[in-house]
Amino acid sequence: MATLATKRYAMVIDMRRCIGCHACTVACKAEMAVPLEVNATWVKIIEKGPYPSTRRFYLPRLCNNCTNPICVRNCPTQASYKRDDGIVVVDPHRCICCKYCIASCPYDVRYVNPFKNIVEKCYFCQHRVDAGLEPACVESCPTRAMVFGDRNDDKSEVSQLLASNATTVLKKEMETEPNVFYIAGDETAMSNDEKNINYWTEGTFFQLRL
Amino acid sequence: MDNTDVNVVYSVQHQLPLVMYIAQYFFFTGLSAGSFVISVVATLLGRKEFKPIGRITAVLAPILLMIAPLNLIADLGQPLRFWHLFLFYNWTSPITYGSFLLTAYPIMGIVYAVMVFTNHQTPAKILGILGVPLAISVHGYTGFILALAKARALWNTAAMPTIFLVSAMVSGIGLVVVVAAVRWKWFDKSATEEQRAKDRKLIIQLAQFMAYTIMLDLFLIVSDILVLLTAHSDAYQAGMLILTGNFAPIFLGVEIFLGSIVPMVLVLGPTRKNLTAIVVASILVNIGVYAMRFVMVIGGQTIPLS
Repeated sequence: MATLATKRYAMVIDMRRCIGCHACTVACKAEMAVPLEVNATWVKIIEKGPYPSTRRFYLPRLCNNCTNPICVRNCPTQASYKRDDGIVVVDPHRCICCKYCIASCPYDVRYVNPFKNIVEKCYFCQHRVDAGLEPACVESCPTRAMVFGDRNDDKSEVSQLLASNATTVLKKEMETEPNVFYIAGDETAMSNDEKNINYWTEGTFFQLRL
Repeated sequence: MDNTDVNVVYSVQHQLPLVMYIAQYFFFTGLSAGSFVISVVATLLGRKEFKPIGRITAVLAPILLMIAPLNLIADLGQPLRFWHLFLFYNWTSPITYGSFLLTAYPIMGIVYAVMVFTNHQTPAKILGILGVPLAISVHGYTGFILALAKARALWNTAAMPTIFLVSAMVSGIGLVVVVAAVRWKWFDKSATEEQRAKDRKLIIQLAQFMAYTIMLDLFLIVSDILVLLTAHSDAYQAGMLILTGNFAPIFLGVEIFLGSIVPMVLVLGPTRKNLTAIVVASILVNIGVYAMRFVMVIGGQTIPLS
């Protein structure tokens, strides 16, 4: 395990390459057996601009596996914890499903598994990574828009992409230091400004399951 | 970029994590903390006419605080694992403080109530003085649960714990007024005319104290919203959500108008000597505080995060 401690996993997503095919969403669903209604990975799609100068922008979303995770800080039972290599995981036997981590997460990437009644999230496919494989979403990406690797290894593709590209992260102001980086991410797609998302706040009030 | 030209085609919003159980739990701990503080004030002043109030509230506080955590356990996805809270505690999580406070406070409340009822004045006073910080923290920590959930702009303000404490006082006094009035009307027949007049005056005084606490509560809410509206964009959205958005009818209509303004007018206005009006005001206050818990807990989570 000594080698694990020196690793620091990160993902770089190149938005110039993303074609919005949702292969990552499907691969994640299959690999992690994510139930219906919830998603550990998904692709946000926005349309921008007045006709005819209009374009679609995509934003693959997954857990940022933050370096400074609010969910881990707020978990009352230490069920959420950070592995030495930076992956944030939930111990399924420890979790009492108080859902406070979901409320604390600025990225809405945690969910309650309706069958197991525990909180789950994207684990960067820890079982695959530990076996030397790439996460399912990365492996399924047809355009190689998603790149996964060790940030501490200067020769890894992730480190080289991070060094040679302008990258952004989601909600930098939350001081969570995400480990998922976006190249050429669209500002509007990355923001949650409610003015932009009128369509789904309509009716939210009545859809609440209280 | 003009925002009207943006259309979100697809995104995922997960179900709200904290539901009505949590709002209800906040309401019950608030009632308990409020009544306990009133009880201690009555015990410490030690005047004879405060005795009935001191006794009512001494019973109310532990009972309410035994109802409150039931909501929490019912809300857990794994209720049988609640003991993990004590065994695998995490000191950076406000829920951990809460699980220990919620254990200590009812025990102390019961001992205090026994002391009050067996007329042991000195132990009751000591326990009361020790208990007030405990009562305040048992409710104050619920404010921190919301305030430290950094993701939600409506919650993440320094005013949140204080707002929760003050509204707890408001609802607690409201409940005590209702219970004391019921006692005065139907269960106080054996007392002398003079004693009954004194009790009645006490209820009215209590209601007036409630009205002043409502003013403090309103001040805190106004200052919170003013800062929300002028802070960063998420905070602005949160402020607008409760001022003009989906939660405006409940926030402005029920919490502010029915739950604060109307009771204040009833208690301080021309009906201030009318016991019925005061009881109506106290019930309205409790409806308003319940609405406040709803708006804060549920409303705070409806702003999409992605």
